[in-house]
Amino acid sequence: MKDAGKWIEAAKPEYTVLIDTQHLVTRLYNMVNVPTAVWINEQGRIVRPNEVAYVDDRYKGMHKLDAAEYLEAIRDWAANGDQSVYALSEQQMKERLAPQNPDWARAAAEFGLAEYFYRQGRQAASIRHYKEAQRLNPDNWNYKRQAWALSDAEREYGTSFMKEVQKLNGKPYYAPRRLPESKKKP
Amino acid sequence: MRNIRFLICLALPGLLAAMCAVAVAAGNRTVIYDGAATEVTPAGFPAAEGDLWVTLKDLTRATKFALKPQGVCRDELCFPIPKARKAAFLKAQGKTTWFNLSEFARLIRQPAAHDAESAVWFFGPRADEQNGYVESLVAPDFTLPDAGGKPHSLSEFRGKKVLLVTWASW
Repeated sequence: MKDAGKWIEAAKPEYTVLIDTQHLVTRLYNMVNVPTAVWINEQGRIVRPNEVAYVDDRYKGMHKLDAAEYLEAIRDWAANGDQSVYALSEQQMKERLAPQNPDWARAAAEFGLAEYFYRQGRQAASIRHYKEAQRLNPDNWNYKRQAWALSDAEREYGTSFMKEVQKLNGKPYYAPRRLPESKKKP
Repeated sequence: MRNIRFLICLALPGLLAAMCAVAVAAGNRTVIYDGAATEVTPAGFPAAEGDLWVTLKDLTRATKFALKPQGVCRDELCFPIPKARKAAFLKAQGKTTWFNLSEFARLIRQPAAHDAESAVWFFGPRADEQNGYVESLVAPDFTLPDAGGKPHSLSEFRGKKVLLVTWASW
């Protein structure tokens, strides 16, 4: 709340906002960065898996994604539900979801241990295990950004978020958005 | 306390440092299981690198699993111990029976992380728990507090569409 509270208050949201201090949702859904969104239908079934979810263009210089298309897709789904061309069938979903591989599972455990040490104020131990989580699952930006934000990233990790993003040179770097498969449908 | 003792160890050379290291090794172990930390009694015998042996009492305290004739069980869930490898899981010492929680994690495909210096073991969710939604496509349920501290569960939103968006203040 100390960190996120001011944004929540300023947004005056009509939707539910939850605080996830232990990264539970990202672990449950195998998310690797923010913003990431998942669409869940009325029966509790996932109809779009993890994907980049920018809803405006303020970071477009970094990711080159136009938010308008995504907003249009959300509105279409809100109106048409499972009949929306953007809601995926069970078969399409199964093609897109993969079980967590053993290295990612170990990385998640290392990250959990690092977080435990951080909460205890044991900085050196937390850094050891953040590094191990990053080594085991190098595609997980949550592990990097959390670790870098909680320390002097340059000193402890020899890098920073902005440096790493610049290296990508605008390449989509996580959970790529695959819109619109729809446009090809009638 | 162990933390402070260890910091002193680092500052001292030679024999004193060695004595401190012994004190740390003899100290309690911490197990983090289902997100909850529990202090457990250390085993009085050398264990394979990184393996955590706990008493049956500590097994139940830390994990809510218990050793039964049919296996290691929690509620309706039971994992039989492979007969041929029983010695890898159980060890009797005097009146105490020790259980190898690390070997059990390997058996049930549960990821683990270990910090030798601090004697802390972290156990994550089993692969079948973690990956269940990939087959069922049912969105994993969770309960988290809102800004006012009131808990909300995803399952409360059944009957509505949910756009689940994650964001961070980094």
